[in-house]
Amino acid sequence: MEKILLKNLNNPGGHTLDNYIAGGGYRAVKEALKLGHDHIIQMVKDSGLRGRGGAGFPTGLKWSFIPKEVYPKYLCCNADEGEPGTFKDRGIIEYDPHLLLEGMIIASYAIGAISAYIYIRGEFAFGAKRLWEAIKEAYEKGLLGKNILGSDFSIDIYVHRGFGAYICGEETALLESIEGFRGQPRKKPPFPAVWGLYGKPTVINNVETLSCIPSIILNGPKWFSSMGSEKSPGPKLYCVSGHVNRPGLYELPMGTPLREIVYNHAGGIKGGRNLKAVIPGGVTAPMLIEKELDVPMDFDSLAKIGSMLGSGGVVVMDDTTCMVKAAYIINRFFSHESCGKCTPCREGTHWMTEVLKRIEYGEGKPGDVELLEGVCANIFGRTFCPLGDGAVMALRGALKNFRDEFAYHVENKRCAARGGFGAIGVWE
Amino acid sequence: MNGEKFVTLKVNGKEVTVKEGTLILDAAREAGYEIPTFCYQENLSGVGSCRICFVEIEGQKKLQPSCITPVMADMNVRTDSAQVIAARGAMLEFVLTNHALDCPVCDKGGECELQNMVWKFGPRKGRFTEKKIRFHEKDYILSPVIVKNSNRCVHCMRCVRVCSEVVGKAVLGVIGREAHQEMTSFVRSYLDCDHDGMCIEVCPVGCFMRLPYRYKARHWDLKSAKTVCPYCATGCRMTIQERDGVVVRSIARLGSGFNGRMMCARGRFGYDFLNSKERLKTPLLKVGGVFKEVSWDKALGVIREKFTRADPKKVFGVASARLTNEELYLFQKLVRSVFNSPNLDSTSRWNENASAAFISAAGIPGRGTGIYGAMEADCVFIAGAQISDENPVTDYIVRYTTAAKRNSVIIASSRAMKLDSSSRMSIRHLPGRLGSLLNATALSLYMDYPERLEGTPGIDGIKGKTVEGLGQVSGVEVSDIKSLAGVLRGSASVSILAGVDFLRFREGILGLRLLGAILKTLGKQLEILPLLDRSNQRGAWDMGVHPLFGPGYGEVKEKGLGVDGMLERANEGASDAFYIIGEDILSMYPDRAFAARALSRAGFLVYQDMFMTETAQISDLVLPGASFAEKAGTFTNQEGRVQAAEPLLSPKGEAKTDLEIISAIGSSIAPGFTGADPQRVFEEIRGGLKTYEGIFPGLNDSNGVMVKGSGNTLKEFEEVKEAVSDLGKNTSYPYYLITGNHLFHSGRLSRRSEILRGLLMEPVIEISSILADELGVEDGSRVMVNGRESGAVFSVRVKKGTPKEVVFIPENFEKAPANRFFKRGETVARVNITVHSSF
Repeated sequence: MEKILLKNLNNPGGHTLDNYIAGGGYRAVKEALKLGHDHIIQMVKDSGLRGRGGAGFPTGLKWSFIPKEVYPKYLCCNADEGEPGTFKDRGIIEYDPHLLLEGMIIASYAIGAISAYIYIRGEFAFGAKRLWEAIKEAYEKGLLGKNILGSDFSIDIYVHRGFGAYICGEETALLESIEGFRGQPRKKPPFPAVWGLYGKPTVINNVETLSCIPSIILNGPKWFSSMGSEKSPGPKLYCVSGHVNRPGLYELPMGTPLREIVYNHAGGIKGGRNLKAVIPGGVTAPMLIEKELDVPMDFDSLAKIGSMLGSGGVVVMDDTTCMVKAAYIINRFFSHESCGKCTPCREGTHWMTEVLKRIEYGEGKPGDVELLEGVCANIFGRTFCPLGDGAVMALRGALKNFRDEFAYHVENKRCAARGGFGAIGVWE
Repeated sequence: MNGEKFVTLKVNGKEVTVKEGTLILDAAREAGYEIPTFCYQENLSGVGSCRICFVEIEGQKKLQPSCITPVMADMNVRTDSAQVIAARGAMLEFVLTNHALDCPVCDKGGECELQNMVWKFGPRKGRFTEKKIRFHEKDYILSPVIVKNSNRCVHCMRCVRVCSEVVGKAVLGVIGREAHQEMTSFVRSYLDCDHDGMCIEVCPVGCFMRLPYRYKARHWDLKSAKTVCPYCATGCRMTIQERDGVVVRSIARLGSGFNGRMMCARGRFGYDFLNSKERLKTPLLKVGGVFKEVSWDKALGVIREKFTRADPKKVFGVASARLTNEELYLFQKLVRSVFNSPNLDSTSRWNENASAAFISAAGIPGRGTGIYGAMEADCVFIAGAQISDENPVTDYIVRYTTAAKRNSVIIASSRAMKLDSSSRMSIRHLPGRLGSLLNATALSLYMDYPERLEGTPGIDGIKGKTVEGLGQVSGVEVSDIKSLAGVLRGSASVSILAGVDFLRFREGILGLRLLGAILKTLGKQLEILPLLDRSNQRGAWDMGVHPLFGPGYGEVKEKGLGVDGMLERANEGASDAFYIIGEDILSMYPDRAFAARALSRAGFLVYQDMFMTETAQISDLVLPGASFAEKAGTFTNQEGRVQAAEPLLSPKGEAKTDLEIISAIGSSIAPGFTGADPQRVFEEIRGGLKTYEGIFPGLNDSNGVMVKGSGNTLKEFEEVKEAVSDLGKNTSYPYYLITGNHLFHSGRLSRRSEILRGLLMEPVIEISSILADELGVEDGSRVMVNGRESGAVFSVRVKKGTPKEVVFIPENFEKAPANRFFKRGETVARVNITVHSSF
């Protein structure tokens, strides 16, 4: 398949404006400026593009919610890629920043934004540098700023670096953070489309989503929707990591079966061992086991079997992996990243982590697994934002498939998978 | 009801109709169902974070937090379904996981929202057996009044929100994340705090606590009484509580007063003067220059002898504006009908003509104006008020209501203040030139509508002037005046909050009257709310404690002298007897030297107070009075809100309430004088004053009762002279000194409060940041302030936004009294400031 999003990934110097233009870049902006705002939104709607950040909300529909008569409006690009196992946006930002900028210019034009923000994860120092350079180049060429390309459309793009909080990937927490407040989610409704950045209508899109826009403008919505699954078309980036021979970032059509990704593209399990579990879409997504591997990797198919596509971070675990340890590490991440706003997530994830830690260290008590399930039930559906639910879903996924392993830990104070217990070393 | 929409919904099957946009929580409470909450707090932004207030809404899969979810028509809400009850229990279990649970040593024990909630809704047994998070082992002291224990925090963020949204300070914030997040301030100390203890009052658990109340009592040990704060005229309703005869705290409760939980540092922590050991307990008679304890009979006998023998024209009476309405009424009756003297006043600081003109310009005889009503206006113009220092709770109300209503608040003052950050525009004028600013604004409006405004009373005075000229006099840019006029022109309703700087400087009163008349002619809905700095100043005027008018602003047969005139006459030796209640003239009168000279020649001086003040020391007879906590009676605040108060204690020693003393003096001279029963006196007031007709203030009225219109309009008093102070260049004394109340101190009461003295002990001078940079000084540095005749050393407080030429000294420090720098008739003193080195 022709690469759309990653065409410059292995192209040295592909991140510069000259190379980008040489490869046909910024043609889409010229095309878009000839079209009407509504026309572009309709094109994106027709293409069937769904948000790549994890929730899979139709992008064109999101844009159409923006009220016309309110001024000003903003566009935010969510580049706070913090989900463990995910590194797709980073690939675009570092090796093809102009693709993102082009998508943002078109999106801003379509919704009528006056300025756009890229909220980039604080740890992406190199990515932020690449973006700053790219924005500078674009300003010099008149692609950003006042009256771009001689049209009456003006747009400024700012890069805002985060401060190391996973929660700022949540769209309203991201807005709070840009405004200079503590990164905590806001209540919804009002949704950002009505009351967003600085109280004005705001669209928040993922890097990958915005990077799809130029090709939709150039090739038309039909071409886009012909790729991938029927209900979630287009190309998708899959980040494969863990116990595979060729971990890496793969651009494949939406709906590629998980088995094909793991065994064909990523080269199968390392050392010829057996697969134990796969997390299909970042650690929030409940893990799958061998018999579920034929699932097509798109939003609806994964939701049907009780998992989710999320960000497309595929984490492969072989049969030497201790699932209690995996669950503990994942949960510790959530408890550390809980913003502290709402009670169930703040206290619940902390509690779960403490219990999991005990089990992993061979100090589990009878009834701990039931306790975990009870705490999960108390958190689920009651948190302010999806972070707490994510923690519960991850743990429930592990408990569903590997309950015996937890029980073994509690009963025998040792690990079934590795024959010993508590040898965590590297993580502590 | 101006187009408001109503919706009907069902709560637990019961139909309720509420305004559109009401929260489910409020609707359910209206329907009579209890929903527990932590993070919800009236008047603060909703966050919906504690998840305790969950309700089930038919058709919605998830439970919804009722404190942030507005009602919708035909909603079917359940507050008691099994799902809701399970969720509440689960949330409480979560809250308790990292809560310290050290209730036996916690000050909040017994009145803790968490305790009560767990008792009612919580799981009977917790499952959490892990180690709890501990932030620190010992409580830490944040300020002289606030102590904190983070281990008990339930992370509701009320403290942080109240600090920024109501108090307007960003002292509190959150450090850290997840279960380790801690609501605290930087470096665990309060650097720039109002010390109003709002964080303590809103804290649902024992995280923020009062340091003075620490380990003092459990709430069931306390005896409480509802009363009214004795400090400023905002008149906050508060409850004071004592144990074993010692007042240990004052609290403001939701639903018990218009101020809700709001109080300032003075109100919340300034109660302890009540317990002072220096309280006077027996009458003292000066014999041969030395005070001697005497009996009440003896004291009354002396008074009868001196006052009956005196020439009525040469008898003077001054009563503090902090007495109750009943006492003030009886006082004026005593002076007018028993002493037969027309000379009485309620304040020592302001000229009686000025105060009468202000009363008339502010429409005080008209009717009461509530602050919440005033804040409904499109434009709120705050002029001549140091509101953030003098009326802190009014400042809080303005801040949070304007944040919700988004109306335009405009401030005109010569000093920067905290409320500036909530205003749409802040105008800095030269001290004492507010009048020119108001005239310039009036002129600007007149130029827009010359025909309509022709003939407005007072308009002729500004005709030949120009906006530019007046702007220059007031030191304000013409563009600022134009935009102020523009906002006034564009608003359908305007509220003017007029502070006591109008009385301190006088020049502004005519401007206020003119601007008010113009706005009325232009058809604006106008409300003028006076902002006063003594708790019962309005009550004193209502009761007729004024030389120029009687009770209910009625005419008097003979106009008397105000404090100014009395002192002048005393200075000339034309005073036979002088009766002062609770007004420390010596420390408050602008021009201390003159007051001292005059009072020493005052004939027989009777001084009645709780403390041996400076004025008491030079008087001939000192009578021990009682504090607000020992009196029953009513107070009328600046809005015209009449609130009842009940006594908590009985007067110290042989001291009596001021009502008893006044009544006793009256009966000793004229038998049959009104008795000392506050209810009977109030009945007399109700019968005699039109404004108080049919007013029955009760202790349980959460909003008090508003006074009615008197029907009297004050006659035009002797014109207040546009006594414009000399603000010319003066190289030896380049700075303008102004004075007023400090946030922590407002006179003789607060200076006797050990707690408030702990907050601010020594005299301070507030200077602008520009001047501080020039002098090379910072907060806490010491400077020498030299006036023409006096000098003193002050500690510096730096304020951003104040013009460089303006310096401010609070008028309440006896160690370096501000009134030393002033001369009589001068409203702005000129001073020079140099860095003080102690070597």
